[in-house]
Amino acid sequence: MRMNATPETPIPLADLRRSQPRFQGIESGHRACLGCGEALAARLVTEAAGPDVMIANATGCLEIFTTPWPESAWRLPWMHSLFENTGAIAAGMEAALKAQGKSTKVLAFGGDGGTFDIGFQSLSGMLERGHNVLYVCYDNEAYMNTGIQRSSSTPHAAMTTTSPAGKERMGKRHLKKDILTIIAAHHIPYAASASVAYPSDIRKKVRRAMEINGPTFLLIHSPCPLGWGHDGALSIEVARLAVQTGLFPLIELERGELIGAMPIRQPRPVTDYLGLQQRFSHLFKDDPRAREELEHLQALAERNIEYYGLKGLHDDPRDSEGADTVRRGGQRWA
Amino acid sequence: MTELTRGAYALPGTTLAFKTGTWRVQRPVHHYRPAPCHHACPAGEDAQAWLGLLAQGQPQRAWEAIVGANPLPAITGRVCHHPCESACNRGQYDEAIGIHGVERFLGDEAIRHGWAYPVAALGADAPVVAVVGAGPAGLSAAYHLLRGGYRVDLFDSLPLAGGTCRMAIPPYRLPRPVLDAEIERLLASGIRFRPQQRLGRDMALDELRQDYGAVFLAPGTQKNREWSIDGVVPRDLHVGLDLLKEWMTVGSMIQASSVAIIGGGNTAVDMARVLRRCGVPQVHIVTHESLPGAGVDPGDAMRAIPREIAQAQEEGVIIHPHRGILRLILRGERTVGIEMAHMKKLPRPDGSIQRVVFEGTETVLHVDQVIPAIGQEVDGFGMDDLLDRQAFFAPDAEGALPGHPGVYAGGDARPGRGSVSAAVGDGRRAAAAIDRFLRGIAPPAEQAVEALAFSQLNLNYFEHVARLEPPILPPGQRSGHAEIEGSLDANQADHEAGRCLSCGNCLACDNCWTLCPDSAVLKVTERAEDGSHYVFDYDYCKGCGLCARECPCGFIAMQEES
Amino acid sequence: MRQALEGSQAIARAVALCRPQVIAAYPITPQTHIVENIAKLVADGRLACEFVSVESEFSAASVVLGAAVAGSRTYTASASQGILLMGEVLYNIAGSRVPVVMTCANRAVSAPLSIWNDQQDSMAVRDAGWIQLYCADNQEAVDTTIQAYRIAERTELPVMVCVDGFTLTHTLEPIDLPTQEQVDAFLPPYRFSRTLDPRRPISMGTLVSPDFYPEARHAHHQALLKAADAILAADADWHAQTGRSHGGLLQVEGDADARIAILSLGSVCGTLADAREMHPELGPVKLIRLRAFRPFPAESLREACAGLTDLVVLERALSPGGGGIVGAEVKAALFDMPAPPRVHNFAVGLGGRDIPLETYPRLLQAVATQAPQPFALFDVDPGKLPVEDR
Repeated sequence: MRMNATPETPIPLADLRRSQPRFQGIESGHRACLGCGEALAARLVTEAAGPDVMIANATGCLEIFTTPWPESAWRLPWMHSLFENTGAIAAGMEAALKAQGKSTKVLAFGGDGGTFDIGFQSLSGMLERGHNVLYVCYDNEAYMNTGIQRSSSTPHAAMTTTSPAGKERMGKRHLKKDILTIIAAHHIPYAASASVAYPSDIRKKVRRAMEINGPTFLLIHSPCPLGWGHDGALSIEVARLAVQTGLFPLIELERGELIGAMPIRQPRPVTDYLGLQQRFSHLFKDDPRAREELEHLQALAERNIEYYGLKGLHDDPRDSEGADTVRRGGQRWA
Repeated sequence: MTELTRGAYALPGTTLAFKTGTWRVQRPVHHYRPAPCHHACPAGEDAQAWLGLLAQGQPQRAWEAIVGANPLPAITGRVCHHPCESACNRGQYDEAIGIHGVERFLGDEAIRHGWAYPVAALGADAPVVAVVGAGPAGLSAAYHLLRGGYRVDLFDSLPLAGGTCRMAIPPYRLPRPVLDAEIERLLASGIRFRPQQRLGRDMALDELRQDYGAVFLAPGTQKNREWSIDGVVPRDLHVGLDLLKEWMTVGSMIQASSVAIIGGGNTAVDMARVLRRCGVPQVHIVTHESLPGAGVDPGDAMRAIPREIAQAQEEGVIIHPHRGILRLILRGERTVGIEMAHMKKLPRPDGSIQRVVFEGTETVLHVDQVIPAIGQEVDGFGMDDLLDRQAFFAPDAEGALPGHPGVYAGGDARPGRGSVSAAVGDGRRAAAAIDRFLRGIAPPAEQAVEALAFSQLNLNYFEHVARLEPPILPPGQRSGHAEIEGSLDANQADHEAGRCLSCGNCLACDNCWTLCPDSAVLKVTERAEDGSHYVFDYDYCKGCGLCARECPCGFIAMQEES
Repeated sequence: MRQALEGSQAIARAVALCRPQVIAAYPITPQTHIVENIAKLVADGRLACEFVSVESEFSAASVVLGAAVAGSRTYTASASQGILLMGEVLYNIAGSRVPVVMTCANRAVSAPLSIWNDQQDSMAVRDAGWIQLYCADNQEAVDTTIQAYRIAERTELPVMVCVDGFTLTHTLEPIDLPTQEQVDAFLPPYRFSRTLDPRRPISMGTLVSPDFYPEARHAHHQALLKAADAILAADADWHAQTGRSHGGLLQVEGDADARIAILSLGSVCGTLADAREMHPELGPVKLIRLRAFRPFPAESLREACAGLTDLVVLERALSPGGGGIVGAEVKAALFDMPAPPRVHNFAVGLGGRDIPLETYPRLLQAVATQAPQPFALFDVDPGKLPVEDR
């Protein structure tokens, strides 16, 4: 049996790290939790966006875990100002670069709290004014940095510290805000949703947005092991099931019109997804209200599948089963 | 003392100063596990490894990896019953990899391009080992001894090497040009072939034991088993293997209009097919065993290769499974038929197995020839001491004959063999044992490692891809020596190699590198020490286990930190 | 060249002369005219800059912050509620040590709703860590705006130029606008030491632990104190270039021997000066104008107050339940003097109430006849108060 741990490797890791065949926007040593979906998503986005970017980052986990002064994990020009002004900071950066005749692309990063809720106004203003900014929302569906409070992105019936389940409540009473439709209503050139479970799809969407001179928006479903209550090793599995159940559709919109959706080859029941997460554990109790909520969530998934036409007609190499096929040598389709 | 920066700005990538690896309670390790194809291969080939090399565009290295275990891939790619494919995990996903077709392709490529066997030049003082029998076991032992730095004298009673491959396997399964080319190349790698030297006639075993450091005996089974029905034997009895040899060497065959072949092994099936090729209209196989198929206990199924059975049926051979012969129907001394009945192996109350004939199922089959093909035994000529009046040698797992230090045996001369690849495996193991014997080294401690189970793969990263089957000669065109199964071309071989799920070994797919949230997996341009393409940077790995969970091949395991 | 210009127009022209590259603003009376005028300059091609019409003051402040760190000179203006809405960003800009210049067209804060002038808005953000300079007239507003850029960019601290709303912004005055050459000679191109740049990718806005937060605050405090030198230097250099100076940190007018002085901020100082000229019979009175409120010029103030018996602090805001804001700070500064004057602290002219010339004799009368009051609203008419509040 060969069972080689790598400390014996003769390759100097620091040299190896410097010569990795990809652009590294976020360096190791950041303080994200084990299996953090957001850390992975941000790495994938910056990797695809490349070095000629400048980042405005909202207050939140990503900001906190990457920049504990005097350290920073970023290898990109980066600024965190406040929770609710990321759209405007990015707009200012973009205006300045434009005034200086520079082509550096501005990225804005925010969580769902900073995007769906408190930063929504400045985001809307930025989109309306047509700034050349790619805004990426890392959607982990609650205020994780402050202790797992519900946001307008928290899915229906999910437990958070401010939407706990109890005798009178089955978790969050309200629905997840349909942010993409609202964003799309700004008539921007490109808006899309993506998932950490599909890195090629993220790359494709980032590259597409990078090519557009104008406001673009990317919503990336990024599991939070701590907040969702699953093992860090399951982050990709959970994210994949969110897509494969239809609960988190991966769609693309141009000027408000739906232009593409990742087909689901074989829709999975929502219980496959929900059952892996503590935040939905109350739905698996022997309680008629729990059953009703499970049915409700299944209906929401089915509505997405129908509304966005997610059910594939045949096996598609870019569908929910094929979109992340690996090949020897690391070749992926994007 | 750290000094504050204006506005508390920070320099890029400085979190590298903070080793998040200290958080870890478990660590990912590259955990090679044998693929089921590797476990299943009697010759010891690691198909996963060489399919990987071919998929990387290195056919010659792939061939070298094969011949690291089995020097006869052009032969085994054609004649092996490929248990590797039955074991292949991909079979549970869509269809098993067509391993034998790729093996055959690589074997043929080596012949075509003249790729050299990886054998180093021998020193003048290289110790000498004798190998008796130039069939697959002897050839394999000779070759592996040569690779281990031994000079080998390979003796055979026949003028040509090949053994069973030449004497029992018909050319439509193994064309003679392929057999000749591969064996010739193998012998030319440095084996001293001594043809027409028969043990007990041209040299004595004791002489060999004196003159050589060790002796490997692979004489095959040359003696036909006794066969009769209640003591009755037709006067014109022919034995299957003898007829086959005659057909292959001289080209002659008995004349008959209807033949019953008794037995369920490869000889029975080949005999039946040859008879059909020679124009016998009615060819029957009567066997105690059942036809192979899904759900059939392998212990009860015919021992012949299933695909050969199927092809025989396509060619018009009629098989009577689970049938026992009750009597021969003779007219004078001439056979005119057999009476047979349904029978089955069933457990007795004490658990032992008996054959039960079912009364009332008797039928008569009109045939003018009955040909037993029930197997052979070792011909003990010149080796009587070693055989001790048994039908087969009884060596230990490595091939050593107890009580006879320096003497080893393998191949069909062991009980329960009967395949070329098993013989190759015996030769390889015996060569290693001889090497240890001559150098006075103890055998390595056996570590049982389970093959990677299907459930340990992460199938989310694979797509269904149909298996490419090699071309098969339609039954109507099968005649004479025409080879039935065709070759894959290079693209088809690549296609099949590309379907390999790389069970238990690194696929170099970049998944761990792509999905690590902590950038703690680093890609190595060439190869890492452990044969993977990645190293873990434990300074930063937090031990989340995502890489292990998402590794498509089950190559990463999580290990508790001590 | 002197020309008659409305305050807003004059400030707009002064901003344009500083060659800002990004301007962001949201409408709020009375700063609106300034940015409207700038928008027109941009529309007419007389100013090449990115003019960002944001959706709130919060975003206005955020846009200039983003632009400034991305390497551009910026400008914004606001007042009243807008300043309060910006509040969080104002702290953030200053703590980040980013050189941003803005005009606060001072105005009262709701409720009750008032659109007219006082200085409650800028006083509400005095602790945000900005340099605050208060202008007496529109010429000073023009000159201070130009100086503010140099101060901000030398100190890497933001500067808020406070100009009384309506009183100055909507008043036509003859203004001596400097030439572009003069401004260019005074103000080098924008340079920010921590400009974000992909070639030098630093991170700004990090998380600072308790191990360093007090040091960060101390450094910020010291930077503001030291900024006094930059304010003085800018005013002196501007004087050398244009012949105009506005007193640096603090301006003193009138008789050096006077035993009574009136201290104030902003345009009310002009009213007091006019009244003093009309009333020589009331004796020598010194007029002290705080031009810099942050940094607070305590030392200069003590020097100006040497020999005084009485000091009237007249301010345009209050801290309800506490009293005067400026008054409290002045008293604190004078506490260390060997013989501090008596301090009479009044608020006056809140919510745009007219400050007539008669205020001057009435103040002097109060000094002469009353014991110093901790704090009072000078122009409140008790008859208008609800009974329970009289």
